[in-house]
Amino acid sequence: MMHDHDGVHDEGLRQVARRLGAEAAERLDVERTAQTVIARLRAGDAPARASIRWMQPAWLRAAAVVVVIIGAGALYRVTHPVLSSGSVATDRPPADVLADIPPGQLREVLSGLNDPLEMPGAVHAGEAGVEDLSEPQLQSLLEAIPSLKAVED
Amino acid sequence: MPPAEPALAPAGDAQLIAAWQAGDERAAAELVRRHARAVARFLAGAGAPEADLDDLVQETFIRAFRAVASFRSQCQFRTWLLTIGGNALKDLGRRLARRRVVPLDERLESKDGDPHERTVAGETEERLRRGLTRLPRMQREVFLLRAQQGLEYGEIAAALDTTPGAARVHYHHAVKRLKEWLT
Repeated sequence: MMHDHDGVHDEGLRQVARRLGAEAAERLDVERTAQTVIARLRAGDAPARASIRWMQPAWLRAAAVVVVIIGAGALYRVTHPVLSSGSVATDRPPADVLADIPPGQLREVLSGLNDPLEMPGAVHAGEAGVEDLSEPQLQSLLEAIPSLKAVED
Repeated sequence: MPPAEPALAPAGDAQLIAAWQAGDERAAAELVRRHARAVARFLAGAGAPEADLDDLVQETFIRAFRAVASFRSQCQFRTWLLTIGGNALKDLGRRLARRRVVPLDERLESKDGDPHERTVAGETEERLRRGLTRLPRMQREVFLLRAQQGLEYGEIAAALDTTPGAARVHYHHAVKRLKEWLT
């Protein structure tokens, strides 16, 4: 079994080591030990059942963590639709977005910015003061101011 | 009187392990009969109190049979059992340490044996036993697997999840220190 490349000088030590525990081992009632082990295994320590029982909490914990992560992700998507749907354009700097538009179309867009918005019932600047507005016009104006709308909500 | 269990045909450890996994208790009992004394000798050499030896051997086999699916024949079944026994002994040491604070060699060394037997046991053997309890666990186990159980470094390395070279170094460190303490 063991080659003697540990050195002859270790032989004495090995002889003592081989005797170590020999008497105690001889006193062991092997048959009784075997029967006790079998009895303990019968009491619920069978290999497959034991390993499954040991693994169950670990698997359940792992599954719970996965569910929580997926749930948190879904919740985040619901509560942050714009960011999570993440259209590339929203994340890009405005200059990059404008660079994609053909020059002709861009001119059209820029000139359109100078035109007043044509909304039904809209009131043009300089036409009238707030006190001159009719009730529907005032209503339209208030609804057009987003910050006020947010306060109302 | 219950009918005697039919005798189990002679088989190798691998066959007995497979039979136990298939639910044959006789195979498990045969494995205990086959290896219990070697496990007891290893544990006693590693410092197990004789009063706890039977329990430790049982615990070793229970743990092994529970985890037998993880045994991949990386080493012999007996060598695997010995490493499990080493873990069981370490756990016993921890439990005893929680109950009362005593030095390790006092903790693991038997005080319950027959005084006459202890006197009869060779003085060198007793000193070696004491010396082993002072070694780091890895050195102690490598030394016992090598010197007491006669295993090759490759087998020891596979069982202790190390390399044969590292096992050899542990063995030589153990021998050097034991010699210093024994002389």
